[in-house]
Amino acid sequence: MNRDNKGNNEISNGHPLRILTPVVAALAMCFCLALCAAPSVAQTSAEWERLSAEKSLGNPNAPIKMIVYDDYECPVCDELYEQTLRPLINDYVASGKVYLVHRDFPLPMHLYSRQAARWVNAAARIGKFEAVERAIFDNQMAWSEYGTENPKGIIKPFVQAALTPAEFKRVERLMQGCEGNSQSQIKGCVVDEAIQRDFAQGELLPVRGTPTIVISAHGQQYPPMQGAISWPILRQFFDQLLNQK
Amino acid sequence: MTSSSRWSAGRVLLLLGRLTLAVVFLAAAYGKLRPQNAVPWTLASLKITPASLGLSMTFFAMQVDSYQLLPPRMVSPFAHALPWIELGLGILLLTGFALRYVSLASALLLALFYGVVIRSYALHLAINCGCFGPNEKLDSWTLVRDGCLFALGVAVTIGAFVVHRRNRVAVAA
Repeated sequence: MNRDNKGNNEISNGHPLRILTPVVAALAMCFCLALCAAPSVAQTSAEWERLSAEKSLGNPNAPIKMIVYDDYECPVCDELYEQTLRPLINDYVASGKVYLVHRDFPLPMHLYSRQAARWVNAAARIGKFEAVERAIFDNQMAWSEYGTENPKGIIKPFVQAALTPAEFKRVERLMQGCEGNSQSQIKGCVVDEAIQRDFAQGELLPVRGTPTIVISAHGQQYPPMQGAISWPILRQFFDQLLNQK
Repeated sequence: MTSSSRWSAGRVLLLLGRLTLAVVFLAAAYGKLRPQNAVPWTLASLKITPASLGLSMTFFAMQVDSYQLLPPRMVSPFAHALPWIELGLGILLLTGFALRYVSLASALLLALFYGVVIRSYALHLAINCGCFGPNEKLDSWTLVRDGCLFALGVAVTIGAFVVHRRNRVAVAA
């Protein structure tokens, strides 16, 4: 009898079990929450990787991988695309020597670069990255704030011209709610998630300006290279990498 | 301070300036010639080998090219020559051999670097400096540093000529 009473008193006065129970319950709840949250994070990551693959050109198993952090409104990025990346795509990417990965890094100082990146990302979601990226860069002087055309920032017609009507309809649907640059507008736009992730990846490097190129080969990554590099010089470097054992 | 003690202090300053310039040139040459692959940062990855040398110089050629100053056919010869010129100047400055001419050549090279950096900064080129190796952003700090190095180069050159002249006068006397 006394023993029972003693035992009850011990429980009511802070028995280890009484203290542990809420702690264990809280831990279990946290674990459940983490389990519930994990699939959505993984799904987002998988979605980003899938979209990243859509924004890449060439064979993923190519001996050289080149990641380009681009801002669609930056004039040097346009120069790099037209004079270096185009011959690279036609030659070394087409022949399976280089895997070219595009990452978005829209600089806040450029008024329309995020909007351009959204159009390209929306197009990438329907497998039309290459055509729309080309259209955006080819017409940079027409839509960018540095361009001669007025009003500025009108990107839609160039995207429309690069796609079939059915494709454009799909892209336009993905672009619903994607206007402006403010944080609240970013949240309402479905394609912005991927752009933000690209940007975060760039900040980790860190990317300090655009264009920034990161080359890796034979399991080794070379330091980020900023600015435009002409095709003959880049090809020379690639040839040396390819000749390495 | 007497004339002779001022003279000794001047010689010490010249020696320090010359050695500083030597270290700067040697560091710049090593930064360009060492393996450029960023990871992994082990002792082995910092060792220069014949295989890594060609790749390092071609990587440096890309940095030279990003300045958009030279035509592509001139970029590669310039990039392949510059690290060796810096290495040679560094060794000569270290030994003090033909100091007047070597310091003059150093000052001219530093003037060239300073001019190029000013031009790139004025054009808002978002590029790497490539001065002491990869991944070094060209910014206002680069401008200050290169300006100081150029001033040091000029000071060492003037000092070398003054010392040579004084020595000649002393010998003649």
